[in-house]
Amino acid sequence: MTADADTPDPSAHPVTGLDEVVHQRVRLGILAITHEARRVEFGYLRTQLDLTAGNLSKHLSVLETAGLIDVEKGYEGRRGRTWITLTTAGSHALAEEIKRLKLLITQIETTRTPEE
Amino acid sequence: MTAESRPAGDDPRRLLSDVRELAGRVRRDQRLTHVALLVLAAVTFVAIPFDWLFMQVDCDGSGCVFARRGLLYYWPPALLIAYAAIAVRYVRAARARGLGARVLPYAITGAATAVVFTAAYTAAAAYFPTHPPFDGGPLPFWWFALDRLIAPWGLIGLALLVLARLERNVALLLFALGYLALVVLVLPTTDGMNLPGWAVPSFLSGTEMQIRLSMTPSQLIIGAVLLAGGIAFAKVRRGQR
Repeated sequence: MTADADTPDPSAHPVTGLDEVVHQRVRLGILAITHEARRVEFGYLRTQLDLTAGNLSKHLSVLETAGLIDVEKGYEGRRGRTWITLTTAGSHALAEEIKRLKLLITQIETTRTPEE
Repeated sequence: MTAESRPAGDDPRRLLSDVRELAGRVRRDQRLTHVALLVLAAVTFVAIPFDWLFMQVDCDGSGCVFARRGLLYYWPPALLIAYAAIAVRYVRAARARGLGARVLPYAITGAATAVVFTAAYTAAAAYFPTHPPFDGGPLPFWWFALDRLIAPWGLIGLALLVLARLERNVALLLFALGYLALVVLVLPTTDGMNLPGWAVPSFLSGTEMQIRLSMTPSQLIIGAVLLAGGIAFAKVRRGQR
């Protein structure tokens, strides 16, 4: 599955369209924060997602390889800072994931049996 | 959230609620509403002496004519400087927290209001002396409301609506709507407010002085409302952190 998900087939179950790269909770969190912030620093993500630096780096690397984020390293004074921005593909993938999640919730609610 | 991957079939409701919660946290961290309101309050208070000093009042036997030149000299540059200062403060604060800022459309709207005010004021000053609206007859209320809306205080309220939208800040939206109702529908910001005789010191008596003085209460009230709003938003922010 790629980040640029195609338009969902209405007959297919929404779960079949979920992108494994984006659907993972931490990576979805990274995309959500970066989308809202426009630009986010590594330390902010680490604090908000309660991750170790190593774990966050791994997830960022997956997203960067998939072309969903851009990572920019630089310095502010002597302090090294890493800034993350969402690419157009990342923005599209996040919107697609949210759309599919909503679809999935609707499907679960409409197919619920009365016993449930 | 944990660092480990979870199955793709994770509860979609929980995922969506996590996304919303994280987005909400970012928005709260980006907000600097109190700074915008405090800067605008300061600008409003500083405007009062300018309005007083540069007001042209000409009185003769048939009555008085006044022109608030101070508004034109003071507000356009003041609005531009204020919105630039607010934007810089927003960007710096967001950067210090490790975030980008969403303030640019607000600053652009603010700068545009300075242009709108200057154009409207200049056009009105050139056109209306020779073409009095409604043939010099009584003016309808909507005319006053429109006049107050395109005055600097009304334009501040319009720009605050833009900020509320950018920050997705319901409290600021309610504040901005209340503020606009006050400056457009209640306070005579452009036509003056007559003070009771007991409230005017003897050294400020005289028709010319009364006219200058009549413009001050509205501006003091607007400045106080913006200041109170700034303090309230600052307190709420401190409580959240």
